[in-house]
Amino acid sequence: MTTTTEPLSRPGFMEGVAAFFRSPRAVPYLLLLPAMIVILAVVLVPLLVSFWTSFTSYNLTKPATLFNFVGLRNYQRLLGNEDFWWAFGRTFMFVTITLNLEMLLGLGLALLINKITWGQRTLRTIMMFPMMFSPILVGFQFKYIFNDSIGLVNNALFDLGLISQPIPWLVDGTLANFSIIFAEIWMSTSIFAILLLAGLMALPKDPIEAAKVDGCNPLQVFQHITLPFLMPFIYIAMTIRSLDVARAYDMVRIMTNGGPAGRTELIWTLMTRTGYQNSQMGMANAMGYISILLSIAFTVFFFRKLTAARSFMGGAQ
Amino acid sequence: MANKILVRALLASCAVVALSGAAAAQDFDYGSFPDYTLKVKLIGGTQYEKLYTRIPEWEALTGAKVEIVSSKNHFDLDREIKQDIATGQITWCVGSNHTSFAPQYGDLYIDLAEAIPAEELAKYVPGTLKSSMVDGRLVQLPRVTDVSNLYYRKDLYEDPARMEAYKAEFGTDLAPAKTYEELKQQIIFFADPPNLYGTAFAGKDEGMSGRFMEILRANGGDLFDENWNPTFNSPEGVAALNWFKEIYDAGAVPAGTVNYTWDDIGQAMAAGQLAVDLDWPGFAGFYSDPSASKISDVLGFAVSPVGSAGVRGGWSGSHSFSVTEACDNKEAGTSFAVFLTNDESAMMEAEAGNLPTRSKTFDDVINYFNENGKTALAEMFPIWQASLADARTPPLIPQWIEVSNVLWPQLQAAIVGEKTAQEALDKAADDARIILEDAGIL
Repeated sequence: MTTTTEPLSRPGFMEGVAAFFRSPRAVPYLLLLPAMIVILAVVLVPLLVSFWTSFTSYNLTKPATLFNFVGLRNYQRLLGNEDFWWAFGRTFMFVTITLNLEMLLGLGLALLINKITWGQRTLRTIMMFPMMFSPILVGFQFKYIFNDSIGLVNNALFDLGLISQPIPWLVDGTLANFSIIFAEIWMSTSIFAILLLAGLMALPKDPIEAAKVDGCNPLQVFQHITLPFLMPFIYIAMTIRSLDVARAYDMVRIMTNGGPAGRTELIWTLMTRTGYQNSQMGMANAMGYISILLSIAFTVFFFRKLTAARSFMGGAQ
Repeated sequence: MANKILVRALLASCAVVALSGAAAAQDFDYGSFPDYTLKVKLIGGTQYEKLYTRIPEWEALTGAKVEIVSSKNHFDLDREIKQDIATGQITWCVGSNHTSFAPQYGDLYIDLAEAIPAEELAKYVPGTLKSSMVDGRLVQLPRVTDVSNLYYRKDLYEDPARMEAYKAEFGTDLAPAKTYEELKQQIIFFADPPNLYGTAFAGKDEGMSGRFMEILRANGGDLFDENWNPTFNSPEGVAALNWFKEIYDAGAVPAGTVNYTWDDIGQAMAAGQLAVDLDWPGFAGFYSDPSASKISDVLGFAVSPVGSAGVRGGWSGSHSFSVTEACDNKEAGTSFAVFLTNDESAMMEAEAGNLPTRSKTFDDVINYFNENGKTALAEMFPIWQASLADARTPPLIPQWIEVSNVLWPQLQAAIVGEKTAQEALDKAADDARIILEDAGIL
């Protein structure tokens, strides 16, 4: 029986597939097909190739090494690589501090601008200026501002008589990381501000007016109505920024290139040096796949918070 | 009749002279490539691009067209070339190269010694040409050479109060340093932060590794032994690293120097903030330009110091052009590379203060500087030319940049006081050993 059904079933299956593609039900899939092919080509294939290379000794200038399988050697080396884990931890701290400060400052800016009735559009445009700069330019700008001998900050402090010796902004471990975080916040706070301003502008007025009639003070209105309403916007902004924060690589590259002595080394500067300067693309991709865990952790965390915030808004809690 | 014959004879002799002159100017046959488009990837940046104004001349000479498919700074260009190698997309013929980068590229480029007549190659500075070889192959034609010597402020060295104080403190006359020990002494002596520092050094990337290598070699040490075992953690290496650490600890250099690259140092020197600067020849034009530099009137030049072994480190490198193996018209590519490094091109680069790679250009350009009132550059050139005798490139192995990348963070760690010099160098030596073992060199 089996020998007879097999040849009969295959044409039947193929005919079924052909009939499906001729039917109107196939239209959505056919329309989506080009997009899916593009996504597969530009996202999935590079992901698979880079994942494969993380198990090889792939050297960028020796294409034949793409097939030199070394198993888990790259990952094993990274597990015992102190410099990598310091860079990993520093990146975690950098992302956490930067995103939270950007969120707080962006929220403050959005609340202030939302109160303005005249010139709000102009201010919104001006606020977006830092976003328009290339991170490389921002890097050069803040490298100059924080330069210990000719920088604006030290010169201003000298002129005000506040210091007698230059402050090594980009050398001291704490100050150098502060300077980089400062530059990143300057560049990207407006993204939060714009997104949160959009949230504020969409905020229904009725609950606020009702709360005021019920005797709530401005702080209570903010705490119980404005902020819960804004939370989905905040988490969406957080998610977008947590994935986008790696743009800071260019800035760090220019300001310190991870130095001195690795004090400002982030996973991105380390990966780029390993992959492109040292040509060890296999090792760099292994670093990338470990650091993806960090991105996934942030994204999952923010999406959970987003779901919770939306449930709250929907009156589930 | 006799007059007519005389006139004809004179015209004929003039024509012969003109033809022979033209032949002398064009010993190398640049060929003819009508309707051919040569694709090139060239280093970008103001100081490099003036030479490219000669490209139309080559196009007129050969009938070919040049398409610049990429023009980037050298680090970005290096990255792009590596990506081209990885993807197998070598669709271009001529690329900018550098002696420090060339060993990484394997067999990407042709051996130019097989494509260019020996009499043409003999016109290049022999040592520079030798440094352009990788594994016995001439993979690049050098266009300008870099070797460092001292720039100093004459007003400080000739200041009577400072001269007296220096003599009282050290018992010797204040004059440009002849040894690194003396240079360290002077750097600390001159420092009066925040307005004046003794010097500044490139504190990261290959700039840091290279300068360390230079002092290490001047002290009689080297990065590797003959079997490629790392030896820079030797006593000579520790002394070289401590040289940086001592001037850093003394506050005689800007604290931010560990993040400085060449441009930062150049700006500080031109602003009059540094007493001396051990630096590349390309800065001479900038420092001696009154519209850009505060020290143009007081600029002095001296040959770089020697180390404890009595020799110069002579860290050297050359920017260059290479022709790819994948090129569909290697003859045109070679013609282009020779044209951009010939006597006329070398003269154009030298007039801007760059150290040329053609022997003839040195005399020519000094005459040019004297005739055009650029006395500072005329004074500088013989000093830089003299130091070429001691010039040495970093190790010409593909792993040099990788080794440099494990070395400079450790040098920084010692300079800023996180580790002792010995600890830092031992760690870097261990890391370098792994790199060389993985590469099969050790």
